[in-house]
Amino acid sequence: MSDAEPEHPDLAAQERSEEPELDRGVVEAWAAKMISNPDRAYKSLFYIATIFFLLTTLYPFFWLLMVAITPSGSLNDVGVLTPGGFNPEAFIDIFQLLPFHRFMFNSFLIATVSTVLVLFVASLAGYVFGRLRFRGKTPLLLTVLVVSFFPPAAFFVPLNRLFNRNVDVLRPLLADGSLFNTPFAIVIPVSALYLPLSIFILMTFYAQIPDGLEDAARVEGTTRLGALFRVIVPLSAPGVATAGVLTFITVYNEYFFSSLMTDGRPEMWAPMLEGVLAFRGQYEILFNLMAAASIVAVLPVAILVIVAQEKIVSGLTSGALKE
Amino acid sequence: MSSETEEASTSLLMRPLNWLETRGDALFAYILLAPAFLLLAVVAFFPLIQTFRFSLRADAIRSADPFGAFVGFENYTNLLTGSAPLPQQFMDLSFGTPILQQALFVTLAFAIISVLFETLIGFGQALILDKEFYGRRWVRVAIIIPYAIPIVIQAMIFYLIFSPRIGFGTEFMQWLGVFGSNPLSNTTDSFLIVLVADVWKTSAFMALLILAGLQSIDRQLYDVAKVTGASPWQRFKYITMPLIAPPLLVAMLFRTMDAMRIYGLIDATAGCQTVPSMSCLVITALQATRRWASASAVAFLTAVTIGLVVVVYLIGLRDSEAGMT
Repeated sequence: MSDAEPEHPDLAAQERSEEPELDRGVVEAWAAKMISNPDRAYKSLFYIATIFFLLTTLYPFFWLLMVAITPSGSLNDVGVLTPGGFNPEAFIDIFQLLPFHRFMFNSFLIATVSTVLVLFVASLAGYVFGRLRFRGKTPLLLTVLVVSFFPPAAFFVPLNRLFNRNVDVLRPLLADGSLFNTPFAIVIPVSALYLPLSIFILMTFYAQIPDGLEDAARVEGTTRLGALFRVIVPLSAPGVATAGVLTFITVYNEYFFSSLMTDGRPEMWAPMLEGVLAFRGQYEILFNLMAAASIVAVLPVAILVIVAQEKIVSGLTSGALKE
Repeated sequence: MSSETEEASTSLLMRPLNWLETRGDALFAYILLAPAFLLLAVVAFFPLIQTFRFSLRADAIRSADPFGAFVGFENYTNLLTGSAPLPQQFMDLSFGTPILQQALFVTLAFAIISVLFETLIGFGQALILDKEFYGRRWVRVAIIIPYAIPIVIQAMIFYLIFSPRIGFGTEFMQWLGVFGSNPLSNTTDSFLIVLVADVWKTSAFMALLILAGLQSIDRQLYDVAKVTGASPWQRFKYITMPLIAPPLLVAMLFRTMDAMRIYGLIDATAGCQTVPSMSCLVITALQATRRWASASAVAFLTAVTIGLVVVVYLIGLRDSEAGMT
């Protein structure tokens, strides 16, 4: 029953009690109550832990805001809980010193295009793995799974070479005929890397649709593909939303390819991360701008998490615990 | 006129669809899988093979083609014996530990320590989220938000906290006597910073997976245990732990694989020169020294190392399951 005891912060107070005592102090009375009523101890332990986790996860954001609203002159004064002054101009400066909105736009574009691509390709694959029976299903599924364990670094050298090569066929579309410095240089590798997760999520959802509904659609005269996109996908809307939200967030958050596949200029489709890091490179002193840029860049995902938290939770758990 | 062309275009679209419709189930399946596997082939399978082939060639730093003659496994032996001409930067220049061993050590140490802490903290968070209480939804949002934030911002937060001019982190750690004067250029200190940042962000992932495991446990087991007089600790030890073990191990495997890929967090905080993980080494070899073949060898070794860890893990998992039943 005394499991709760070591957790209690006032060990010193307990030691004090070894002196011949006369009246019980607040702490001792509290400890005695805990021992006589262990459920209470567990409950208070639970609240202490909850508050601790809330503080540790949210405090860094709070501090980031404190840095962001501190004027550049008094950055030395930023405290643990207080800003060094108040001047929210940093949130405007980030768009004036650098076209940070362009970086954000690039990131949004890359994440959206990747999400659409992944959802389409994963829908086809998820349909096949979830609803059809054919030879070689398990080996193919395992092959998809294997991809998710290789480090992106293992693919980088050939991809870098491939995307830097000038391909004449692409010349009418792209300035110098190479994919480097275009959104595709990020979209293609990132889509492939996050494809397996979406396939697994969609596979589970598509497999749950009763066969009868698909058959009914087929009797009505749609093709198998028509049945997929007119019946199965709409009925699995929660699953598609889950896969979409997760893909969008992971692509938006991706670092490896996003930092290596462009030269970092906003007009060359460099994503948001280059924008945040640029405040460190060019303007070493302007910590408040870095903080402000980080806050602006984190807002879209933060909102997405708050709106779609159920989807994220179910998607991550079903996708990762499938095997 | 316009309806005619429309008709023509729909029939043009319908023709492959109709053709597809008349194929057998297996062929239909393969055709639908084609886009997925094409994407995976271009981005993963083909490059992996290429990486291996590149790693067997010599470095050609000055010529237009970055790969020289075929040299067999020379790049690998150079890397393993420490004579590879890669930038030697950090940790112990004086002892001359081969760069690959340093990178291997950093990567493995990071993976083991971070996964350990993330599991413990994630478990704590999951136990809280498993309870019913007022405002649980918002506590859950708060706990999973770090997992959803971009790596670059996670890195930026901890870079700011530990940059000596502005953050309080360095002062605090110096007061504890752990950090030197400029932690972001010291390997050990930076390693700790990266570790803390990673634990902060990814504990939430472990928490979610463990929570899923916890919620699949039959609540009646707890009721029975309560009736028979088991304390909460006994309920945790004899019911929760054994039932949560399999999903927990799978979650740890996923995290380990992910932790061994670490690159972005390091690149955006201390820099790859200070804390060289294996992925970092690939990029420094490529960009700083333009040694494409050596970089390919490191990249392939990274994949092999992760593969080995996964295999060891799976064997351990199988043995432990065999031992339990």
